[in-house]
Amino acid sequence: MNDQVKNQLPRRTFLTLCLGWCSTLFALGASLAAAGRFLVPNVLYEPNRRFKALRPDDYPEGPTFMPNLRVFLFRKGNSFRAASAVCTHLGCTVNLAGGGFHCPCHGSVFDTSGTVVSGPAPAGLPWFELTLSRDGRLVIDTSQKVKADKYLVV
Amino acid sequence: MLKELWKDFRSTRVGGSIFRVGLPESNLERAQAAISSFLLHLQPAKVHRRVLKFRTTLGLGLISLYLFLILVGTGVLLMFYYVPATDYAYQNMKDLEFVVTAGQVLRNMHRWAAHLMVLFVVLHMCRAFYTAAYKPPREFNWVVGVTLFLLTLGLSFTGYLLPWDQLAFWAITVGTSIAGYAPLIGQKLKFLFLGGHVVGESALIRFYVLHVIVLPVAALMLIALHLWRVRKDGGLARPDEPQPTREEMTTAQLPVTKTYGLMELARGTTPAVGIRPEDEVFAWPDLIFREILLLMATLAVVLILAIFWNAPLEQIANPVHPPNPAKAPWYFLGLQELVAYSAFWGGVVVPALLVTALVALPYLDRKRRGVGVWFSRERRVAITLFSICLAAAVILTVIGTAFRGPNWAFQVPWHPLHAVEER
Repeated sequence: MNDQVKNQLPRRTFLTLCLGWCSTLFALGASLAAAGRFLVPNVLYEPNRRFKALRPDDYPEGPTFMPNLRVFLFRKGNSFRAASAVCTHLGCTVNLAGGGFHCPCHGSVFDTSGTVVSGPAPAGLPWFELTLSRDGRLVIDTSQKVKADKYLVV
Repeated sequence: MLKELWKDFRSTRVGGSIFRVGLPESNLERAQAAISSFLLHLQPAKVHRRVLKFRTTLGLGLISLYLFLILVGTGVLLMFYYVPATDYAYQNMKDLEFVVTAGQVLRNMHRWAAHLMVLFVVLHMCRAFYTAAYKPPREFNWVVGVTLFLLTLGLSFTGYLLPWDQLAFWAITVGTSIAGYAPLIGQKLKFLFLGGHVVGESALIRFYVLHVIVLPVAALMLIALHLWRVRKDGGLARPDEPQPTREEMTTAQLPVTKTYGLMELARGTTPAVGIRPEDEVFAWPDLIFREILLLMATLAVVLILAIFWNAPLEQIANPVHPPNPAKAPWYFLGLQELVAYSAFWGGVVVPALLVTALVALPYLDRKRRGVGVWFSRERRVAITLFSICLAAAVILTVIGTAFRGPNWAFQVPWHPLHAVEER
């Protein structure tokens, strides 16, 4: 056996090492991945994002705040639209004051169409899709965004 | 009298089995005590004389440790009454306030000790910086310290969701929304933190588990590592002294009693290296006495604060209306001031850069200059840079605390704006 061969790792040792390290790393990685996935819930016990409200006639002219959804419902005659009351900055509830929305947490200001006027908010307040259910009630879907000038006319 | 009792107790079979060494009276016994007693062996048998001087460290690290221990003690007691469920959490707080004996004082102690711990950990970090205690061979221990600082903030953050009051709810809403701005993984991270899309029951139980077991255990293990490294890296940072010459080492100067410290010679930077025998003192009793005194003082301050000032508890969490202004505790108001300009830059980029800079500091600034000296003139640039960052943090915190009113509008503290009437 010459020197070169002597310095080489024997095949058996090499394969054993490979097998050992691969299984160790695989076991570790798989355990970590499983533990990580375990922390992601599969079922959420949260309010439905689609909400059936009252009949259109039950709401007064002007804005109505719907606390459970954190949504402002606006009525103008027979036309309805709904704006999010959740600040796009860091999730505080905005207040409706002086012809616009004001966020109390970090001072973002939005105009009546939800567009950012000033402050750190990165995007305007979204408007949500309004539909009428078969039994004549308003349905607000906070997972569906629409344009600010889209009204539901009843 | 007490000494006699102690001696009688030690002479019994049981007493002797618990305490291997009695009250040390000779130097030999002092060394034996330091080696054979669990608590005493946390420090070396002999330390440099500098260690006894208050101005060397101002006791800041030790105070932080004591505050941590107070927090563990009071926290475990609070756990006996607290139920981490949205229906009960706030009522439990009220029970602690009005029904449970000493409940209010324990909660106050927990709250004030938490505030003080943030303060003292920061001060301790400043001490380590201004005395250049992060220079080789102590680089890694500085990194451990930075991690402990982040853990302290994490413990505070997870802790204040638990009362389920207005501050709790909105601080966590804002805080987790900041996490949502992190690039790529932000939204996933936020979902994982909250266990859902909104701050609710799953968020509460997650923060509870983090607060009472995950983060404290991590902190405890890192504190142990931190203390161990202080010893292994050569004790407290001190200026280089002239090494004893060969003649000195081989003549009468050679300390006869050093055999107890042989195991410390494993590394080249041990407390024993470079210290002349005349510079050393036994840890028992002087150092131990000072440490116990500091513990008493810390405990006394926390107790006095807890007896005279109640920890605030706002109204029960209302997921609809944030208070106006909605403010985090003072130590996060600098950050809140930053996110009021931009959530991404102020909430993600600046903190990430700061933490990176803190971790990288000992690996960039490695020249052993000014070690163990307060505000060494040889480190003017480093000291100026650090002081500017520190001043910026303090100014932002002060602005966020005192100069921000309703709708986060600028106000002067002596003429506060009136809170806006909520519709």
